[in-house]
Amino acid sequence: MTLITQPLVDEAPVATEPLRPRTRRRFRADKVGLYGLLVIAALTALLPLLWMLSGSLQSLTELLSNDTFLPSEPQWQNYVTAWVQGDLGTYLRNSVVYTGCAVAGILIVSSLAGYALARLDFAGKGVFTFIILAVMIIPAPAMFLAQYKLLISLGLTNNPVGYILILITSGIPMSTLIMRSFFVSQPRDLEEAAALDGAGPLRIFWSVILPLARPGLAAVAVIQGLGAWNEYLMALVLFDDNALMPIQRGLTAFTSAETPQQQILLAATTISIVPVVIFYLMAQRHIVKGIGAGAIK
Amino acid sequence: MTTSSLELSARRPVRAPRRKRSLRANLLGWLFLVPAIALIGIFTIVPFGQAILLSFQSWDGVSPDTPWVGLANYEFIASDPIFWASMRNVLFFGVVGFFVGNGVALGMALAVNRVTRGKTFFRTVFYLPGVLSVVVVGLLFSFILAPGSGVLNRVLELVGLGALQQNWLGDPSVALPAVAAVFVWFHWGFGFLLFLAGLQDVPKELYEAAELDGARPWTQFRYITWPHLAPVTSIVSLLTLLAALQIFGTVQVLTNGGPGYHTMVPTLAIFNEAFVNWRYGTAAAMSVVFGGALVLLSVLQLAITGRRSRA
Repeated sequence: MTLITQPLVDEAPVATEPLRPRTRRRFRADKVGLYGLLVIAALTALLPLLWMLSGSLQSLTELLSNDTFLPSEPQWQNYVTAWVQGDLGTYLRNSVVYTGCAVAGILIVSSLAGYALARLDFAGKGVFTFIILAVMIIPAPAMFLAQYKLLISLGLTNNPVGYILILITSGIPMSTLIMRSFFVSQPRDLEEAAALDGAGPLRIFWSVILPLARPGLAAVAVIQGLGAWNEYLMALVLFDDNALMPIQRGLTAFTSAETPQQQILLAATTISIVPVVIFYLMAQRHIVKGIGAGAIK
Repeated sequence: MTTSSLELSARRPVRAPRRKRSLRANLLGWLFLVPAIALIGIFTIVPFGQAILLSFQSWDGVSPDTPWVGLANYEFIASDPIFWASMRNVLFFGVVGFFVGNGVALGMALAVNRVTRGKTFFRTVFYLPGVLSVVVVGLLFSFILAPGSGVLNRVLELVGLGALQQNWLGDPSVALPAVAAVFVWFHWGFGFLLFLAGLQDVPKELYEAAELDGARPWTQFRYITWPHLAPVTSIVSLLTLLAALQIFGTVQVLTNGGPGYHTMVPTLAIFNEAFVNWRYGTAAAMSVVFGGALVLLSVLQLAITGRRSRA
């Protein structure tokens, strides 16, 4: 903020001669400050994570006492202990399944709905759009109890199906809007050509529209994938059975039940973020696009 | 969210004058919407109605009976100190998230937008905390902010600022700001990404023209950048505010609302009332009061920005 308020050009140009070198020098000083600020912010974002990594490789005595913050001798067995004691393999596998199913469901449902909103002409379209916008406004705290009660009466607590259905439903409104804005911006030519060739609407959707929609689908998949992977509240409410818990719920179960040592917990949290961080680094291009499309367009 | 509804209504007249739609066209449209409507109906709209119903009933979470108790649940929460403490605390989170979180996000977006090298690096790193889960952030910072051996206190000692050491999460007067700081660390990357995307849409020629006219950076910001960012700003503000007000997991893992109720938040109070105290009826009443306040806030915000963007 401060840097922006700093004037680039001190005064309106009066003399022609001294202006150029002066601005260039100021420009450089400005850049140094700018980069300084950015580096400080980057360190603020990174240091807690680096400390987690470093702490996960220390022994407990070292972790509680050392002043260098680096492991003198990496304790790789912390990771083995965390993996075995915390049963992280089960939790990670559950999370992969839940996230995969949720993303697949969201993609199918929201691309269908988004396409209808973008391209089809039918009575009640406005009503549906209103419902979507209204549902987006209903906050989770107003609903999670009743969702829990509903799933009890459907016999779907402690049940992957119930959890996945909740994940899909909560992702639909935003994803539908993203897909809609994506379809609106596509040319109609191919659909019209396919229609002339005698293809029905569902066939056009499946073989013409969906393949074209890959960038939109990718953006939705990345955003909703991150959301589903990190979901915590419903997982906390719905699962008592450790064998069914996703990783976030499993981590808290591990913390409270076994009371493991701090370095083991740091190893467990590190393991739990590895998949999501790798995924993020690979797909971050789509995140920017998806968040932008979902929120602004 | 606002813009999409505006865009919808703006787009309609482009079509040929409204013809009578065939039954077939209507059926086809609804066919595409069936899965979305079924899921939203069953898992969002029905529970929304049930939450309101449940707030007038008494339920222990187990028995099939949910006897009608009228306004008793609302009377109970009206005088419940925990619930009102949580409402006050969450207001603090909202204000901090809104001003500090959005301020940092905007400032960093402006800074990154001006550099030529390392743009991708900074963008990647700034959003990195945002991909972590609330559980990881809660656990990590409960260690960093721990009294005595906590790494923050040790760093302060090392750099000679030992006087600033605190029992960050245990001292009633610092716990709330400490948790709010963790929230800002966790969430500002989202606003940053949106602001940055918004900045890249501002036409460069405007700055060049302004530069020629000798406009200072502050003037450029005030008259070019800020107006162009208005739609992004209103969306980011709303989403950050809602995220701050609905904070749950971070607080539950970090402090569980303590010390006392000094970091209690409504979502956690609702959760505890139901799953710790087994009073689902009062928990539902809390969620109606709190959820209603959030809906009101969103509608208000959308109405204000909607009017502004139309003016």
